[in-house]
Amino acid sequence: MEHLLYIGTLIAVWTIVALAANLVIGYTGMMSMGQAAYLGVGAYVTATLNILLGVNFYLALLIGSIIAAVVGAITLLPLLRIGGFYFALATLGINFVFFDIFHNLAPRVEGSEGLYGLQLPDLLASSAPRFATTVAVAIACALLCQAIVTSSLGRALRATRDRPDALAALGKDPRRYQVLIWTFAAGLTGLAGGLYAATLFYIDPTLFTLDASILVLVYIGVGGLASTTGSVLGVILLIAFNESLRFLGLPSQFVGPFQQAIYGLLLILLMIFRRRGLVGKYDFTE
Amino acid sequence: MTILLQVLSTGVGLAGYYALIAVGFALIFGTLRIFHVAHGTVFMIAGYAFFSLHRLLGVNVFASAVVGVFCAVVAGLAIDKIVYGPVLRRGGGMFAVFIASLGAALIVEAGFLAWSKGVVSVARTGMLDTFIVGGVAFRAFDFVIFAFVAAAFGALYLWLHRTSTGLEVRGLTDNAYLAAVVGVNVRRTRYAIFLIASALAGLAGVLVAYDTGLEPSIGFKMLFIGVVAVILGGVRNILLGTVVGATCLGVLTAFAGFLFPEWNSFTIFLIMIVLIIIRPQGILG
Amino acid sequence: MTLRNNGLYIDRLSMNFGGVVVFEDISIEAPPSKVTACIGPNGAGKTTIINIVCGVFPPRAGKVYIDGVQLSGVRPFNTVRYGLCRSFQDVRIFPSLTAIENVLVAMPNHLSGLFLPGGWRQERANRERARHLLQAVALESAAERAAGELPFGQQKLLSLVRAIATGARVLLLDEPAAGLESDLIPHVVDLIRSLVKAEGRATFLVEHNIELVRQVADQICVLQAGRIIASGDVRRVLDDQTVIREYLGQVYNV
Repeated sequence: MEHLLYIGTLIAVWTIVALAANLVIGYTGMMSMGQAAYLGVGAYVTATLNILLGVNFYLALLIGSIIAAVVGAITLLPLLRIGGFYFALATLGINFVFFDIFHNLAPRVEGSEGLYGLQLPDLLASSAPRFATTVAVAIACALLCQAIVTSSLGRALRATRDRPDALAALGKDPRRYQVLIWTFAAGLTGLAGGLYAATLFYIDPTLFTLDASILVLVYIGVGGLASTTGSVLGVILLIAFNESLRFLGLPSQFVGPFQQAIYGLLLILLMIFRRRGLVGKYDFTE
Repeated sequence: MTILLQVLSTGVGLAGYYALIAVGFALIFGTLRIFHVAHGTVFMIAGYAFFSLHRLLGVNVFASAVVGVFCAVVAGLAIDKIVYGPVLRRGGGMFAVFIASLGAALIVEAGFLAWSKGVVSVARTGMLDTFIVGGVAFRAFDFVIFAFVAAAFGALYLWLHRTSTGLEVRGLTDNAYLAAVVGVNVRRTRYAIFLIASALAGLAGVLVAYDTGLEPSIGFKMLFIGVVAVILGGVRNILLGTVVGATCLGVLTAFAGFLFPEWNSFTIFLIMIVLIIIRPQGILG
Repeated sequence: MTLRNNGLYIDRLSMNFGGVVVFEDISIEAPPSKVTACIGPNGAGKTTIINIVCGVFPPRAGKVYIDGVQLSGVRPFNTVRYGLCRSFQDVRIFPSLTAIENVLVAMPNHLSGLFLPGGWRQERANRERARHLLQAVALESAAERAAGELPFGQQKLLSLVRAIATGARVLLLDEPAAGLESDLIPHVVDLIRSLVKAEGRATFLVEHNIELVRQVADQICVLQAGRIIASGDVRRVLDDQTVIREYLGQVYNV
């Protein structure tokens, strides 16, 4: 039961990450391969404030989210002028840049690679309330994202995705929408990062690598781009599938590689047969 | 001053490997616009095959090396046929191919992870001599690498400039669409490109397995180094660009490794990002 | 032509690409509530004029005025701020947006519906206007269809409607009839007559379709070999012998 609650909480956390990523990738057409960096910023800022400075967790969570948003904006601005494929490549590089930053600059507990010892409030301290709270936050985020994409802003985002040059010719600078949504998504991802730290009790830089960014892509790729339902669906299906692998009876050293191989296979199959994903509304043809 | 020269010598030594990987990657990306992430995996396959045969089964060094390179070629061609072909045929663009390539690389890397679980496999059996000239240490093996790289590039140059396939390849670099219209046999040229690029990556894999050893993540590392070298050098002139890019990168990473030892990835990728922003076509592009 | 304070005024524009002179010292006036057409053979530089006015590249010499104010610092993404909007020859509608969304996103205050109480009203008003515009080109029934699924002719009409929806006072239309089936051309005529002229916009259009020009244009200029060989009232110019000989006679049986 404990374990089930834990998995459920992870699903909720990753749903928030997937929703945020879908906003920028699926709805606005900005291929981000570096979302893990913002997840890590959120996690580390929250954890550092809470553990080392004794800041109240909710406040730390808020600050972590804001800092992640700011970092998101800062990392995006120099990349705004490049498009398409090179943009994606640059965001991929962000993973490695931040990994070294976390590895070398982030605080860690003496003698270990990572950070632990969060002082969590009642709503998050034990597994059942933590599950309920993160699910509630995830639902709130899903509703918020849905509200955004069905609004006039959502319209502008999709126009930015389709033909930014035409949008500019209509007198609306697509870069404004790009920065707006990217910053918001980074903040949301940072929020998820703080909750992630609370769920795991222990964070270290290896949690926030290219692997994690690719994982996010697989979640929304499978679920479907430009679909809120898709993001939720993708996360639930894949994490559940992942867990079910444990029952296969593989020796423990093979479980990780097997999961990775499945993800790799999924990516290939998606790209060949169904770039749209399960319930997605956007098929990228670039 | 000696330190400077020492770092330089290390850098140039590194550049050899980078050049072998980068030139194959540049060939594929420059002509077919495929971001062949799995190129690093091809490199790894050769290295692990070489290690298995030579170290585990005691096969002679040269035979193992040849088989290693052969495995790389088979892997490269297979990935193109089984993964890229279907993606492209069903309307996938450059980005979809990139993701599929990533998927292939993940699968193969998973295989290696399962096999050796992060243990570095070393195949070295000698040739570790270094000799000192003017206070700077040179590794004997660096000269071996240099010899191989020079031979490979020489052969490449002859192929590109003296054979009809090579001419077609150069045509593809300039304008793939036009080349297809004019009647370049794109399929045959494609085979040739993947074959040669994978062979070069395989050669690098064998050399690295012999020299510093392998671990499952080295495929990705080498690949991205190759990518940065190609971005640095540009794809307009594949051979010269790769040499320039690889040398610059080798020297840069040697200096970075010396000055900021904990910031290797950071430096390389920051360079890549800055390059993409200010001059994606590279130094020569 | 005398310098007027309203609409679009192009003053002695010259342009070349490298050593090739595209046009030299041309002046065009497009006053409000009137349609000014520019015709001429392919490559004469008609689209280049539009590109220069929209700031895609600067002219070698000459100035452009909107409502008496000289344009400077205009780039393709801020033309609407200067009161300008252009349509493209190759339609650039947003394929994954519905037809009505294409129009809505073009409107100047399209974001005002966002989460604010008064915003609902603005959004409803926008939708009303968008439907009205779509009606003008018989696209109302396709309002909720993805624009990418519409046939080319309808996409072209949609792009025209979209340009009008921006509220720009000066419209630059680049071959609005190009690629349209003949049964759709009356829609373009209606659109331009009813919405454009009635609402007082100045329209500058470049076209090959002389019939369309005859039906909607008030004045016309003929660009050939880098110069304007005739300009003025449309009926007079199209009947002019020189024009017929130099250009129309080769292209059309007028």
